[in-house]
Order: sequence, then C-alpha cells, then structure tokens
Amino acid sequence: MADAKTLRVLIVDDEAPARALVREYLGAHADIEVVGECANGFEAVKAVSEHAPDLMFLDVQMPKLTGFEVLELLDPAPAVVFCTAYDEFALKAFEVHAVDYLLKPFGRDRLAEALGRVRERLAASGAGTAAAVAPPETSATPAAPTAPSAAALSAAARAPGQFAERLMVRDGALVHVIPIEKLDYVEAQDDYVAIHAEGKSWLKHQTLAELEQSLDPARFVRVHRSYVVNVERIARIEPYAKDSRVAILHDGRELPVSRGGYQRLRERM
Amino acid sequence: MLAWLLAGLLLAEFLRLIGPLPVSHAHAFAVPAMLVCGFVVLSAWWACRRYPLVSTPPLKVLSGQIGVALQASAVWAVGSLLWELVLVRLGDSVVMRADILRNFGVLFLIGIPLYLLSAVVHYLVLAFEAAHEAERRVLESQVSTREAEVRALRAQLNPHFLFNSLNSINSLVGSDPEGARRMCEGLGDFLRRTLALAARDSVALSEELALVERYLAIEKVRFGERLGIERRVDESALGCRVPPLLLQPLVENAIKHGVSGRLEGGVVRIEARREGARLGIVVENPVDEDAPARAGAGVGLENVRRRLEAFGAEEARLDAVREPGVFRVLLTLPARDSETEGSRG
Repeated sequence: MADAKTLRVLIVDDEAPARALVREYLGAHADIEVVGECANGFEAVKAVSEHAPDLMFLDVQMPKLTGFEVLELLDPAPAVVFCTAYDEFALKAFEVHAVDYLLKPFGRDRLAEALGRVRERLAASGAGTAAAVAPPETSATPAAPTAPSAAALSAAARAPGQFAERLMVRDGALVHVIPIEKLDYVEAQDDYVAIHAEGKSWLKHQTLAELEQSLDPARFVRVHRSYVVNVERIARIEPYAKDSRVAILHDGRELPVSRGGYQRLRERM
Repeated sequence: MLAWLLAGLLLAEFLRLIGPLPVSHAHAFAVPAMLVCGFVVLSAWWACRRYPLVSTPPLKVLSGQIGVALQASAVWAVGSLLWELVLVRLGDSVVMRADILRNFGVLFLIGIPLYLLSAVVHYLVLAFEAAHEAERRVLESQVSTREAEVRALRAQLNPHFLFNSLNSINSLVGSDPEGARRMCEGLGDFLRRTLALAARDSVALSEELALVERYLAIEKVRFGERLGIERRVDESALGCRVPPLLLQPLVENAIKHGVSGRLEGGVVRIEARREGARLGIVVENPVDEDAPARAGAGVGLENVRRRLEAFGAEEARLDAVREPGVFRVLLTLPARDSETEGSRG
C-alpha cells in the first residue's frame, strides 16, 4: 500500500551543492516530494516537526549538531538515508537503523537503490513508521523488528569510548545544547529526566540510567535513586536524618543523598 | 682465554730465565696468575668510562689511568703472591724467599703495561661504538625527515577533501557544467602543485600561498558564502623559504574545525610578516563556542610541527592559541631569502 504513496523527503546537508545534487536526482522520481532543505541540525529538527517527512537524507558532519545528534532528538524519526564522505560512520548508522548509507560521491542509480530500500521498509512496517524495521543486512532473517533504543541513539551521537561533551534537549521545534560543564544536576521524573543547568531546567525523554551512562563518572555522581549531580556544584554535605544526608549546592539548592550515594561521593571526592 | 694461557706459559719461561725455579712450580704459578690477570685488566672497562677521552683533559686521563693501573697491578701481584705461598705450603717444590719476592716484583711491573694496553683497547672499542651510534642517529633523523614528508603528503591528499570535491563537481555537472569544468581544472591544478612542492626541500612563501589559494577556491564552491578569506601578507615576506606543504594543512584545519562548525560560517585570516631575521605567519579562524575541542586538530598541528623540525630550523616554532571564539596558529621561522638559500647551495 505504501508503493503508491508519494514520499515526502527532507534534505539535510550543510553544503549547498550536495543538497542540489540530491534534489536533482530526486527530480527524476515522480512519486517523491521534497518538502524542504536544511543546512544544519537545528533547521532539520525544526523541519521534521513541521513537515513530518517520510524520509530524510542526512549528512553526518554539520555545524552545531551532527546527523546522529539530530536523530537522537527526533522521536519518532523519519526513515533515514545518510549521505557522507566518511565511511567510518557506517556501522553506527545501522545501529540507529538507518535505511541506507550513501558515500559521496554517489550516482543516480545508487540513490534510486536507496529509495527502493526505503519503500521496502515502509511497506514492511505497514503503518508507515520506517523506524520500526530492521536494517537491510538483517532483513532476510525474520528477527523481530525493533526501533533503535534511546541508549543506542545517544551512544551513536558520541565519539566511541568517550563521554558526552554536551546534552541536546528539544523544546518543540527548538533545540537547546547544554555543554556538560554547565550541567548542575539531573533529576528522574518517571520516563523523563529533568536537566538543570544555569538556573533553568529542561525535560528529556530518557531514563536517568541511560543518561548516567553517557556522563563521565569522574564528574557526575548518582547521589540518590533519582539524582545525578555535577560534583563541582556541591558546596557541602550535611546530615539530614539517621542514615541519610543532604547535598547543598553552591546556589543553595538541596538534593537528597542516599547511603550508597554518599559512599560513591566519598570515593570521588 | 687461549691467548692468556699462552701468555702464562711465556711468563713461566721468563721467570725461569731470570731466576732458578723448578719447571712445575713456574707453570703452576704463572699460568693461573696470567688467567687472573685477564680478568683484572678488564677493570679498564670501568676506568675508560670514568675518564672518557672526549670530555676529560689529557693530563687527568693519564694520571687517572696510571693510578688505576698501579692499583690493578698491585691487586694482581698481591693475589699472585698469596697463590705462590699456597703452592709452597702445599710443598710441591722448594722455592727461595728471594725468588718469591722477585716474582712479586716482576708481576707488579708486568701488570702495569698490561693494564694500560687493555685501557687502549677499551678506548678504541668505545670510540668505535660512539662512531656507530652517531651514524645510527644520522640515519634515524633522515628516516624521520622522510616520514614527516610522507605524512604531510598523505595529510595533504586527504581523501575526504577529494570525496567532497568530487561530490561538488557531480552536483555542478547538472546545474552549472561550466563551473564543473572550472572545478575539475582547479582540483587538477591543486593536486599537481601539491605533488610538485612535496618533492622539494624548501619553497618560497609565495608558492605556498599560491597553493593555499587553489585550495580555498575549491572549498569556496562547497561552502559558498559561509567561507570568507582575508589575507594580509607583506611583500617582503613572499620570498622567504619555508618547508613545502606547511600552510595548506593549517588552512584545512581552520575550515574543518572552525568555519564549517559554525552556522554562519566565518573568515579564515592568513597573515605573514617579516620582522628582521624572523618570518611570522598567522592562520586564524573563528570557532563555535559550544563545540568541544576536537581531537583531530591536534594531529594536523603535530604534522606541521614535524615539518618545521624536519626543515632543520631549530629556532622555528609553532604556537596554537585558543581564545574565546577564536583559534589561532602562529608560526615563527628564521627569515631565509631565496638568494641566501642559493649560496648555501
């Protein structure tokens, strides 16, 4: 049923000639509608929430947000075909369930092949959410298709073996980038985390455990079941009740510290 | 070992010549004594390192070595004396006290030249080793110079730059065929110049700037309005000699880690100035405040630093400064003109 449907496509690349090329190639396909072009990740996040495209051609290295960081911010994300001159991101691309990976320079036929894969995936998922299908390599096996986990997405957005340098939060069509050194503390709130930095706070759809994994344990300590705190922000720790303490931050805010949290803190400080 | 054994027999004959000694006693005494001597003179190994010929005044070498010779010889002669007394006590033959004392004196006198001979041999060995070491170091520095050149060339022909450029050409073929041709020409020209410059030991700054010019023209197609360029180069600096492929990696870094990471792009500034005997070059670019410091930039800078070292300019240096919003690389080189380079020739 998806075969007859017109595909709505977004082109994201910071280089104008690269966007023009994809647009030109797509011009040969009658069932494709280009809904927009974006020159950076911020524009891409905004355009996806405005146009809800079926497919996104996505560059990896762009100003402010990389292609992987853009994906981390989109929920649900459209089907993705990466376009880049770098082959080293291919593995990561399939971890975040990209449909295809085009290496620049690529020709018309290669792009047509990618479109074919996108259609296959959209057809297989039926409902039209491409994110719920396995990558092409594994599509031969009847393994249950799953969407990439939030942890896989956020891991893909970082360099391997490194901790996050910054956190991205989406607020409607707006994207906030929070450098890690400005982060005060993070608080668990059901399926969300509240990220507190510079006197403001943002909600992000992620569990505290997932977020904690991306943070450098030398700088951020889980002081309580619901709190991870930037060690540099702690002014002092005072006893609160039997077996529990309270961490007082430089700005006067108080966070509960559990017994285990106190032990972890003592190890770090 | 065999030599020392023969020397022992010789010594035995000699001792029998100058004094009446039983043959068996002479051999039992002289052969082990000479073998021990072989070990004692090895002390020159230590003494020769303590008084190296190059850095010690000759008089001190002489007095030092003679001192060691006397001590070594005395130790040997005393040891031998004790051995001879043991032999006598064991009663293998009758030996006069005067003969024992004479043997002691002879050994002491022979020990000194033997030790000094050993010292000379050790000095020769040391000198040979030093020469060998120096040769190895020259070879090593030649290899590292070549390595630096190869690395610079490889960095120069960054495949991603080529892939992206080809992608731009691919795009222009559809929208602007004339522009595509110009870019093919520009890319070819850039690559040809790169290979030509890489084959030389030094080039004029003007040639380096011309290469950078070609490079920027190609990148300008990719980045369009986002990439700005500002040059301030003194006329007098243009003729200065620099290592080839010095500037282009810096400009590439400025774009890759600076301008391309900013939404609004930015201006790459290139400055070159001659101040007396020094040539100062600055490559500066704006950086995104939120962007974390990229690890890749360090490798590029390290390459340039190696190029400077391989150029043999000890006064040459590279300083990288990151200020809020700006990244700046400063190169300082001795200002050598093309003419002086020719006369060095």
